Amino acid sequence: MEEVDAAARKVRVRDLITGRSVWETYDQLLFGTGALPLCPELPGSDAVEICGINTLESGLEIRRRLDQGGIKKVVVVGGGYIGLEMAEALIKNNLEVSLVNRPSQVMETLDEDMGALVSQALRDVGVALYLEETLTAFETSLGKVTGIVTDKRTLPADLVILGLGVRPNTELAAAAGVPLGEKGSIRVNARMETEIAGIWAAGDCAESFNLVSRKPFYVALGTVANRHGRVAGINLGGGYATFPGVVGTAVTKICHLEVARSGLQEKELRNLGLQWDSAVIKSRTKAGYYPGAGEITVKLLAERGSGRLLGGQIVGAEGSAKRIDVVATALHAGFTVEEMINLDLGYAPPFSPVWDPVVTAARELAKKL
Amino acid sequence: MAKERLIVIGGDAAGMSAAAQARRHRPELDIVVFERGPHTSFSA
Repeated sequence: MEEVDAAARKVRVRDLITGRSVWETYDQLLFGTGALPLCPELPGSDAVEICGINTLESGLEIRRRLDQGGIKKVVVVGGGYIGLEMAEALIKNNLEVSLVNRPSQVMETLDEDMGALVSQALRDVGVALYLEETLTAFETSLGKVTGIVTDKRTLPADLVILGLGVRPNTELAAAAGVPLGEKGSIRVNARMETEIAGIWAAGDCAESFNLVSRKPFYVALGTVANRHGRVAGINLGGGYATFPGVVGTAVTKICHLEVARSGLQEKELRNLGLQWDSAVIKSRTKAGYYPGAGEITVKLLAERGSGRLLGGQIVGAEGSAKRIDVVATALHAGFTVEEMINLDLGYAPPFSPVWDPVVTAARELAKKL
Repeated sequence: MAKERLIVIGGDAAGMSAAAQARRHRPELDIVVFERGPHTSFSA
């Protein structure tokens, strides 16, 4: 897609096989242009073995490079979802994996105490972790990457994976005069309609609303994209649907460790000027005596005074991550931690301790509020 | 009169979810999706 003429309701699109451009007219237009990986403009950044990863095709490209052989050392830059999941995949391919991360712990969407558990898990599975280091350059030889340079060291690399986050792909929309919002995402109303007549947006290119902070919010996740798309499609089909917003739920895993978060974390609460208390508890994923029970750590945050739940984070063994859905539902409902204590959750020894770990955390937090 | 036309830019999760819903709600709508890559709905 090369150009959108919103006034004339037409788009200029180029066929990538024939190279020919044509104008196509529309009555309604939906931007579903997604997000683009952040790629720093640093010395050597045009070498071919430096890969961002945001499409099935970019994943297949990395697979092809590994299959060609000759790759032993891989450096992953960035300790977010993409960095972690790539580190796991590379470790499972018996590669030597280093991970460079600018913050003091990986998983910046967790508070530091919970992120530290994930950092340790990465070390435990054999990832060489370099925290509080900033990428400054790529080393190349004859156009091929040979290493990366941080502010503290040089690391040799046959392949570099960038997981530095994404930005909404909205240049085309901006050029067409569509107003942008949070982090450059396309501003939409609850029906996913932009401020320009006949133009809509959904998914990683579009803005969301955070139901906990009650502020515009940008999040690039497939779950949200599917829900945005559903609402936009119903409206485009002549129906009526609205998207209320998100609470910021996300899950991932690194080998045996599951990681989950929902709501607001400490740094977001600080920025909002809210006062909160938090509780961190350790429990088991099943009844303690039941075979296969693993450790789970749950952190909950609630507003001081009102007791309203503001966020939760979970790190633990298999069976941990999806427990965040109780936290997410409580956030949607606007529950206080007192209200969470009496939630009638499922229990039998193969599934949970008699007090679910999320409820145990709510009980601990209620004592402090 | 020509059929009303919806153009979708991007054939992944959001674009294809929207196209499918629009088709269900309005079977007669003319829907065209443009996708730069070789795959659709790869994160859906």
